[in-house]
Amino acid sequence: MAATDRATLFTEPACDHNRDKSAKERKAGCPKPTPGGTSGGCTFDGALITLVPIVDSAHVVHGPIACAGNSWDGRGSLSSGPDLYRRGFTSDVGEQDVIFGGEQRLFDTIIEAVERHRPPAVFVYSTCVTAMIGDDLDAVCAAAATHTGVPVIPVHAPGFVGNKNLGNKLAGEALLEHVIGTVEPPDVTDLDINLVGEYNIAGELWDVLPTLSKLGLRVRACISGDARYADVAAAHRARATMVVCSRALLGLARGLEEQYGIPWFEGSFYGVRAMNDTLRQFARLLGGGELAERAEELIELEQTAVDLALEPYRERLAGKRAVLYTGGVKSWSIVSALQDLGVEVVANGITKSSDGDVEKIQELLGPDAKIVTEGSPRELLRIAEETRADILVAGGRNQYTALKGRLPFLDINQERHIPYAGYRGAVELARRLDLAITNPVWEQVRAPAPWDPAGVA
Amino acid sequence: MARVVTTTRRAGLDPLKFSQPLGGALVFLGLAGAMPVMHGSKGCASFAKALLTRHFNEPIPLQTTGITEVTAVLGSGEELVVHLDAIRAKQRPEIIGLLTTGVTEVSGEDVAGQMRQYIAMMEHTTPEGAPLIVRVSTPDFLGGLSDGWSAALRALVSAVPFDGPDADDARRGSGRGSGGSSGEDTVAVLVGPSLTAADLDELGALIRGFGLAPVLVPDLSGSLDGHLAPSWQPTTTGGTGLAALRRLDRAGLVITIGATAAGAGVDLAARTDADLVHFDHLSGLRAVDALVTELMARSGRGPTHEVRRARARLADGLLDSHFGLGGARIALAMEPEALVAVGSLLHDVGAEIVAAVSPTDAPVLATAPWDEIVIGDLIDLEERAVDGGAELLIGSSHVRAVADRIGAPHLPVGFPIYDRLGATLRTTAGYAGSLRLLVDAANRLLDHHHDADHRMDPHRDHHTQGRDVSQHRIDPFDELDVLCQEPSC
Repeated sequence: MAATDRATLFTEPACDHNRDKSAKERKAGCPKPTPGGTSGGCTFDGALITLVPIVDSAHVVHGPIACAGNSWDGRGSLSSGPDLYRRGFTSDVGEQDVIFGGEQRLFDTIIEAVERHRPPAVFVYSTCVTAMIGDDLDAVCAAAATHTGVPVIPVHAPGFVGNKNLGNKLAGEALLEHVIGTVEPPDVTDLDINLVGEYNIAGELWDVLPTLSKLGLRVRACISGDARYADVAAAHRARATMVVCSRALLGLARGLEEQYGIPWFEGSFYGVRAMNDTLRQFARLLGGGELAERAEELIELEQTAVDLALEPYRERLAGKRAVLYTGGVKSWSIVSALQDLGVEVVANGITKSSDGDVEKIQELLGPDAKIVTEGSPRELLRIAEETRADILVAGGRNQYTALKGRLPFLDINQERHIPYAGYRGAVELARRLDLAITNPVWEQVRAPAPWDPAGVA
Repeated sequence: MARVVTTTRRAGLDPLKFSQPLGGALVFLGLAGAMPVMHGSKGCASFAKALLTRHFNEPIPLQTTGITEVTAVLGSGEELVVHLDAIRAKQRPEIIGLLTTGVTEVSGEDVAGQMRQYIAMMEHTTPEGAPLIVRVSTPDFLGGLSDGWSAALRALVSAVPFDGPDADDARRGSGRGSGGSSGEDTVAVLVGPSLTAADLDELGALIRGFGLAPVLVPDLSGSLDGHLAPSWQPTTTGGTGLAALRRLDRAGLVITIGATAAGAGVDLAARTDADLVHFDHLSGLRAVDALVTELMARSGRGPTHEVRRARARLADGLLDSHFGLGGARIALAMEPEALVAVGSLLHDVGAEIVAAVSPTDAPVLATAPWDEIVIGDLIDLEERAVDGGAELLIGSSHVRAVADRIGAPHLPVGFPIYDRLGATLRTTAGYAGSLRLLVDAANRLLDHHHDADHRMDPHRDHHTQGRDVSQHRIDPFDELDVLCQEPSC
């Protein structure tokens, strides 16, 4: 992708992360890696996160072994059927290829993947090294598509162009450019919807689908949790799009609106309030009226059921104090989910949130809450101690920070194995918070060893 | 002697291989107060870090120099210095392992020169100078995990400055890690990647039992064995200490355990003029006996009561397990050193190695006591396991999916193991460790046989499940059954 194309991603008008930036900030694009703090994922990682959950497709990594070897079958996205997305395909570029070019090797790899598995499509990802040596990804993909008769989609997201969010965006661009609109579905209804940025982590989608179908909504394409290629390719026939917890894919939603006239909104599946809001937004975008009335009825029913299920947990969790460290929209959607349960959010990380998110967080939390702007493990532990927190709610990367600090922990991001979405997920969230805080291990590991009466710091 | 063959396939399918920088990082993770740094883009470390975290269930200190597309093209020397200095100031490591990656190797940076400049600058401007920085060339597009381990260990023993025989003993005890002894009886023990934390514990105890003072390099049993330290710290919380490394020149004997450590042993022994003995692995009675014989000769002592008991137990375990494992058809996929270690142990109880796949080539592979080793991926393991009618698959957690597809049991050994806890405390080597692995393997077979007796229905035979039965190798009795089912019979 040319630099100018990428520049347009940073001026994404629907993203208030961009709207809020000055002209100079916008030109600078995504933040540069901070020296001594470079452990986040790369652009290639972001592209994988967005596309690999298309479960029936082959995902071919064009690069040296580090890129695929360390990452294949490492995602928490679940499939209800095909498992081709869990298999590792790579051109495994060697020294000879670096010198003479890796195009033939990539071509052979794509052919081999197609011949072995006959997938409906192949996604091909460039990496730092193959971008540097100048392999023509588009030409190889086109030749392989002609040769096999299977769509072969080039994804230009080498790791060194930026952070994970950029990879999500570039993956969204690839879908808009090469995939969406290529399949005409035979069974379009007026209540077909798209979910964008929902990856079916720990099967979360499956806790949301029953609720959506109670309202009569049918998910045309989930981009891309538990997705089939043909469904994503038919996403242009949906009547409304929801962007789930990821600003990075606003461009995809806006593209669907501009090219196919599909209206969209930003929402979340986390917490009762957010779920209620999501149902109302869908009803509104799909015409309101009778649908809106049914949405209110459904919300009332679900609310009654969930209140009943949450009652014991609300009692046990009342007044508990949490430090929340997560990014973007999730920072406020989880705040509201925790508050629904009576948990006090005493500090909240905002490193990846836009100014709009921050305002929303401050509105939810009130003036006393601590806003955390630096997320080093040491700093998180210090804040937890200072705020006398009962639990750290954060991404898997901070799990061992908390455990080594003898602090209860709840994993809220990508890699987790427990679903928290939807009404059912809201109850699970309460249950897991309670289990984490009240587990008998904390008392034991905080007690000093017999030879160490002073105890640990 | 095994024949080593390479597949003609060009694609990497279900890769078995890991990158060189990952193997290099593992060496530095076994040193105390250390920080491995990958000289590459952000993802180079984040993928490796995620994988290592899944395996060890521990926080993994690992950084990158954050190469961007701009610095990759215009030169990353400045970035390197800025990042190294930030890491020095923020995380305060005593040792930095600087590992190059594909990106920085392709762009042809003069990393050695840039680093020398940085170290000179630090010595000029700060009282304590730069931490020990060990630079290793580990391009992702060459070799694999074992090559990276070997390169990093060689670079480490070549770069570490020795205190020298007359050095002031004031340094003693300043290191944060293990191995604080010195003197005539110090033994430098360089190890390969196949030994787990529990293996290293057993090895250390064995050597100490002869009155010798081993310094294990690296020592993952001190850093990534899974222990709750008094407080959180950004670098490794144990492992071989810098003070112990600086006194490696006092060791009169260098022992290398594991084929991957052989090169570093030669380097160190040449540098310090020490004696050198090498063992490709420590799996099985004969392999451990060879080490014990050497230690007896060296120390002039006999083995301790514990060692004698452990040997007697292994000998008994060989007898007990040979019924189940004798003739068992086993498929393996592992790094070269581990492949030969585990395969030899099973071969020693009469098992048949029907498939053995290594991600990369290595001289040790040719010494394996069975017919053939394939350099390939898990797809090669799968095809050969099916062809050979494998009854047990041994390898990382990735191998589990292969085992599930062909309906055979799986024993997790190697890297990465993320579908169960305690991988670092499972053993593969030493008298007790070999016994544990044998018992685990035999029990996996027993579990599986207990679940389904294949005579009840030949078409439900475990290695044909989900596959075309006609592709399956038919043994003579099955053949007889098939013939008898035909009308003419």
